[in-house]
Amino acid sequence: MRTVTALRLSPTTSAMALLAVLSLAAVGCGSTLPPKELVDARAAYDTASKGPAAQQTPAELHTARQALDQAERLFNDEGDGQVTKHAAYDAIRKAQAADSMGRTAVLAKEKEAAEKDAQALEGDIHRKTQGELAKTKAELERERAALEKSREQLERERIAREEAEKKAAQALADLRKFAEVKSEARGTVITLSGGVLFVSNESTLSAGAMAKLAEVSDALIKSDPDSSITIEGHTDNQGQAKYNDELSQKRADAVRDYFVSRGIAKDRIKSNGLGAARPIAPNTSPEGRANNRRVEIIITPAKK
Amino acid sequence: MRTATFVSLFLAVATTTVAGCGGSFPPPSERLATAEAAARSARELGADKDPKAALHLKLAQEQIDQAKAQMKAEENKKADQTLSRAGADAELAVALAKENNARTETEKAKEKIKSLKKEGK
Repeated sequence: MRTVTALRLSPTTSAMALLAVLSLAAVGCGSTLPPKELVDARAAYDTASKGPAAQQTPAELHTARQALDQAERLFNDEGDGQVTKHAAYDAIRKAQAADSMGRTAVLAKEKEAAEKDAQALEGDIHRKTQGELAKTKAELERERAALEKSREQLERERIAREEAEKKAAQALADLRKFAEVKSEARGTVITLSGGVLFVSNESTLSAGAMAKLAEVSDALIKSDPDSSITIEGHTDNQGQAKYNDELSQKRADAVRDYFVSRGIAKDRIKSNGLGAARPIAPNTSPEGRANNRRVEIIITPAKK
Repeated sequence: MRTATFVSLFLAVATTTVAGCGGSFPPPSERLATAEAAARSARELGADKDPKAALHLKLAQEQIDQAKAQMKAEENKKADQTLSRAGADAELAVALAKENNARTETEKAKEKIKSLKKEGK
């Protein structure tokens, strides 16, 4: 029963089947449809040709193009067989490689530029550092030199002070041989006997007196340049008071003039003739009178 | 006489066909060496460090192994084609590894500039 039906339907069915088979065959052997590999290869080449390879690595891109052309030829000549697929596979990889090489070339150039920039920057930093170093060095050197100078200055001052003190001590020692030196409230008082400096009744300094006064002026007075000096002339009570006053004034002036001639500023020195007003010994004996005939040099330290 | 000619012709055709089938296709030793050398280069360039390069190196190695098996089975023509693919993948792995290295070096150079700029301030 079924067989009969089948047989009966046979003409129509077989015609339809034939059509279906034919259309299938058309698609199947219609090698006009490229294999997936070839489609991928075309896309890969398209991507690569739009990438940096066109500029950077044209030779590699050309190799990829040749591989694609070969795959296309095989597809045209032999359809979508294994040979075509292998060739297309090769073309895909070559296109991808060309693309990669193009990117690599760009990266290499970027690297080169970056290294150049880095080198320039390093140079800048090096120069800057060197400059700062040189500046610091110079500053240090200046400071060191200043320190050295002030140290030398201090040393010179110390030596000068020591020398002055030594000289003063020496001068004082020398002075004590012919004069009395005392420290009083009014300052250092140097008492020189009138007989040492002047001939009796004269107000001119003898040569020996000058040498002695030179020592006084050089040592004691110059060692303290800001001190003020008072020179007092004194006599005994023999003779007229007016004469004694005048003589003592002249003698004090003579000493003052001598000091000025030695380079001591005039405004530092005062001279007073006090006559017999201030005896330091009784005028009753020749020794006492000799003691009273004297010149006192009073050195008053500068008021601080 | 005619029969003999026909037989010899048949033999010739048969031989040609056998050769075409790859029975006597020579072992693709040179292609194998080339593919293996490329794979080695890719490995030495550090293809393992880049995922894409590593993938293609793996593909190349698998195809090399497959080709070796095919050669053992005397399927030389198949092996030759497999090796063609292996070579293409290995070369791509080389290119990608180089690109990866170049990228690393470029980044390093740029980082250096950055740190130098910081230092210079």
